[in-house]
Amino acid sequence: MEGRRRIETGALFLPIFGALLIVPPLVGVFNVPIAIFGLPVVAIYLFAVWLGLIVATAVMSRRLDRAERTVGSPPGEDRSE
Amino acid sequence: MISTDLVLVISAAYVGLLFVLAYVSDKRARQGVGGFLRSPLVYTLSISVYCTSWTFYGAVGSAASNNFEFLAIYIGPTIVFVGWWFILRKLVRISRHQRITSVADLLSSRFGKSGNLAVLVTLIAVVGTTPYIALQLKAITQSIQVITTASERSALGDLDTISLGFGVAACMAAFTILFGTRNVDANEQHHGVVAAIAFEAVVKLVALLAVGVFVVFGVGGGPVAIYEQAIAAGIEIHSNDVFGPRWIAILILSGAAILCLPRQFQITVVENADERHLRTAGWAFPTYLLLMSLFTMPIALYGLTVLPEGSNPDMFVLTLPLTSGNTGLALFAFIGGFSSATSMIIVATIALSIMVSNHIVMPIALRASTTFGNSGTGGVTRLLLTSRRASIAFILFLGFLYFWLSGNSDALAAIGLISFAGVAQFLPAMIAALYWRDATVHGAITGTFIGFLVWAWTMFLPSFASSSPTIAELIANGPWGIELLRPQDLFGLSGFDPLVHSVFWSLFLNTSALVVISLFTRQNALERIQAAIFADVFKRRNREQPHFAPGSASASDLYFVAQRVLGGQRAYELFEEFAREKGVSRTQVEPTADLVVRLERELAGSIGAASAHVMLSTVMTGQDISLEEVMQIANETQQVIEYSQELEQTSAELRSTAEALKQANERLRALDSQKDEFLSQVSHEVRTPMTSIRSFSEILLTHDDLGNDERERFTRTIHQESLRLTKLLDEILDLNALERGERRWQNGPTDVEMMLDRAIEICRPMAEQKGMRIEIGPRAAKVMVNGEPDRLAQVFINLIANAVKYNSSPEPFVRITSSVADKRYRVEVTDNGPGIGRADRQRIFEKFSRGSTASAGSDNGSGLGLAISRQIVMRMDGSLDLISSDSGARFAVTLPLLP
Repeated sequence: MEGRRRIETGALFLPIFGALLIVPPLVGVFNVPIAIFGLPVVAIYLFAVWLGLIVATAVMSRRLDRAERTVGSPPGEDRSE
Repeated sequence: MISTDLVLVISAAYVGLLFVLAYVSDKRARQGVGGFLRSPLVYTLSISVYCTSWTFYGAVGSAASNNFEFLAIYIGPTIVFVGWWFILRKLVRISRHQRITSVADLLSSRFGKSGNLAVLVTLIAVVGTTPYIALQLKAITQSIQVITTASERSALGDLDTISLGFGVAACMAAFTILFGTRNVDANEQHHGVVAAIAFEAVVKLVALLAVGVFVVFGVGGGPVAIYEQAIAAGIEIHSNDVFGPRWIAILILSGAAILCLPRQFQITVVENADERHLRTAGWAFPTYLLLMSLFTMPIALYGLTVLPEGSNPDMFVLTLPLTSGNTGLALFAFIGGFSSATSMIIVATIALSIMVSNHIVMPIALRASTTFGNSGTGGVTRLLLTSRRASIAFILFLGFLYFWLSGNSDALAAIGLISFAGVAQFLPAMIAALYWRDATVHGAITGTFIGFLVWAWTMFLPSFASSSPTIAELIANGPWGIELLRPQDLFGLSGFDPLVHSVFWSLFLNTSALVVISLFTRQNALERIQAAIFADVFKRRNREQPHFAPGSASASDLYFVAQRVLGGQRAYELFEEFAREKGVSRTQVEPTADLVVRLERELAGSIGAASAHVMLSTVMTGQDISLEEVMQIANETQQVIEYSQELEQTSAELRSTAEALKQANERLRALDSQKDEFLSQVSHEVRTPMTSIRSFSEILLTHDDLGNDERERFTRTIHQESLRLTKLLDEILDLNALERGERRWQNGPTDVEMMLDRAIEICRPMAEQKGMRIEIGPRAAKVMVNGEPDRLAQVFINLIANAVKYNSSPEPFVRITSSVADKRYRVEVTDNGPGIGRADRQRIFEKFSRGSTASAGSDNGSGLGLAISRQIVMRMDGSLDLISSDSGARFAVTLPLLP
C-alpha cells in the first residue's frame, strides 16, 4: 500500500513539474539565439521536455497498473461495473 | 493542377468510405464482435479529434507569425493527460457511474440535477463552438480554393467563398445526421463514429507527416538547412515575447479545452469503454500531439523563405507541395486537412445536438404537455432523434453564419482561441464539481454566466470588428462612450494582449463568483447527495440513494415511462432483467426504490440527468415531499451510523483499557510472588544463623558446667553468626536501596585500573590462605571511566572473592585481565573451578542464588553479591556478564570509557 501511495504522489508531482518546466522563467532561459546541432535550442528544449513527460507518464502508468494489481482492488472501490 | 471535379469526387468518396467504415463498425459492435474497436489504441486515436484543421493548417500559420506559440496548444493537453490519474480518471469514473451524456449533463447532475444550469451550459457550448465550426468551414473552403485555383473552370469553380462555405456546411450537416443520429443509444456511445474518427486520426497524421518529410527532407535539405536559410532570409525566430503571459494563457486555455470542449468530453469521457484505456491514452495521446507538431515549424520557416510574400501561411501545407509540382502529395494533404475538419464537425455537432435535445428540447416538451408521450411507444425516441437532427443543422448553420459575418481576415488559430476561451468558462464549475463538496448550484450558475458574459464582451464580440463598423467603434470608445467598459480594455486594464486580457477577466470573475456565491448560499437536499457522490466516487461503493419515496407510482406507470423514452424493446429488457434479479416474473415487479434508481439512470443515459429526473418526478406524485422525507431518512441513518461508530470507538477504548489492566494485574502478581519468594528466602537465610545463635546461647544458659574453653568457643560462634547476620541484613538493605534507586552516589572520573589493583591486593591474603595463585594477565593502560571508586572496588572484590571461594580444583588459580576496545573498558575474571552449571547460568545474578555446586558448608556467601555487583555496574552504564563456564567460570565487567 505504501508503494502505491508513493507512485500516486509521483503521479501528482509529474504534471506539476512538467507545467513548471514549460512556463517562464525556466523556458525563458532557453529562448536565446543559440543553435545546438544547427537547430534553435528552445525548440530542442521544448520537444525534449515533451518527450520526457511522455516517457515518464508511460513508466508511471505501468507502475500504477502494477501497484493496483498487486494490491488488488483498493477497499471501497466499485469494480462491479 | 487538380480539377475541381476531381477534388469533389475524391472528397465524396472519402466521406463514403468513412460512412461504410462507421456502418460496419457499428454493426460489429452491436453483434459484440468489435473487440478491436474498444481497444486503448482506437480510444487514443479518437481523442485526437482535438487536432482539427486548426492543427493541420492553422498551426503552420500560427508558427509563421508567432513562431513557437503554437506549441502551447498541444503542450497544455499534454500536461492534462500526464496528470490523467487525477482529473480524467475521476471524470470518467463519475460519468460512467452516473451515465453522464455531456459536459452540461455532468455539471447539471452534480449541482442537484439543475435544469437551468444545463440550459446555460448548453447555450454557452453552442455559442462557444460556433467560431470553431466556422474555422473548419473556412479551412475546408480555403483548401478547396487553393488546390483548384489554377485549374480550368468547372461546375463549382466559379462559386465565391461564401457559397462554397455554405455548400460545405450543408454537406457536413447531411453527413453528420446520417452518421450520428441513426438511433438513440442506451448510453450515448457511438462505436461507428468512434471508429471513423480513429481512422481519420491516422489519415491526418500520416498526411501531415508525409508533407513534413517531403518539405524538410525532400525539398528543404534537412531541418538545419531550413533553419539557416530562414535566418539568412531575415526571419525573426527568437522573439522574446513568445513565452510571456500569452503563452501561459494559451497553455491554460488548451488544458481547459481538452476537458471542457463538448466534443472532447464526448470522446474522452462519454465514449470511453474502459477506464483502463486512460493508462494508454495518458502517454499515447501526448505522443500523437508531438508527432503532429514535429514538422510545423520547419514547414512554416521553409514556406516563409521560399514562397512569395503575401502567401497565406495557413495554407503552406498545401501550397508547398503544389509549388514543388507534387500534386499527388498535395491531394493527400488536402484529404488530411479535410479529414481533420470533418472529424471535428461530426463529433462536435453530435455532442452539441445531444446537449440541445436533452437539456433544452426535452424539458420544454415535458413541460409543454402533460399528456406528452401518449402518442405511443417510442414517442420520446422519435422526438429526440428529430430534435437532434434539427440541432445539427442549426449548429452548422450558426457556424456558417459566423464564418460569413466575421469576415475573412482572421487567421485560423485566432478563431480557434475564441472558442477555447468560451468553453474554458466551464472549467471552474467542473473542477468544483469534482473536488469541492460545498459548491452550490447558485455559485455554479452565477460564475459560469458571468464568465460567459465577460468572454462574449471581451472576445466574441470584438471578433466581428473587421466586418462591422459599429462594433469597431464600440471597441475603440466603449458603449455610450464609457471608456471603462471598452471590450479590450475592461475596467481600465489596458496594455495587455486581447487574449490574455479576456482570459484573465473572464476566468477571474467566473471563479470569484463561483466561490463567493457558494459560500453564501445553501445546497438543497439533492445537491448534497450528488456532491457527496461526485466528491467521493472512489471512496464508497456508490449505490445511488433513492430520490423518490417508493410506492407513489405503480410499476406499470414506470414501465410506461420507460417505453416512451427507451422504446419498447429496451424497456422490456430492462424490466425483464430487473425481474430476473429479484426472482419474480415481469408482471410481479414492484415499484421499489431500486427500480426507480435503475430506471432514472437508464433514462439519464438517453435524455440527461435533469430531464430524467423531471420526467420521473412527474410520474411519482408528491416528489418534493418525498425527497424531503428521503433526506430526513438519510439524515437519521447518518445519525445512527455516527452513533454506532461512537459506540464502536468507546468499546474499543474499553477493550484496550481492560487489556492494560490485565497486564498491570499480571505484573503485580509477578511482583507479589517475587516479594513472597524474597521474604521466604530472607527468612531462610536469617534463620540459619539465628538457629545456631539460639541453640548456642541456650546451651550457655542451661549448662553451667561448661569449661572455659568451650564457653569461649560457643561465644565466638555466636559472635560470628551475629556478624554474618548483620552482614546479610546490611547487604539486603544495600541491594534494596540500589534497586529502588535510593542509594545515590556521585559517578565521577575514576581510575578503574587502580581500583582493580586495590581489589587484587585486598583479595591476595585470602587467596594465599587457600593456596591459590592470582595470575595477572595483560592489563590495559591507565583509563578513566565514569564511576564511583569504592563501589567499583566492591564489584571487583566480589568477583575475585567468588573465584577464590568456590574454587575446588587441586591447583586453583584465578586469572585477571583487562583491555580497552571500541571505547569500552573490559575486565575479565577467570577461574579454573567447577564452573557454573548450564541450569544456573540464568539465575546466577538473582538474589540468594548460589551455584548449586558450591560447597554447601563452610563460609557461604549471602547469595546477594552478584546481584549487588550487577546493580552497581548497571548504575555506571556498564554490564556484568557470565561469559563462559565450560571449565571454570569467567565473569566480565564492561564499562564505557570517559570521552
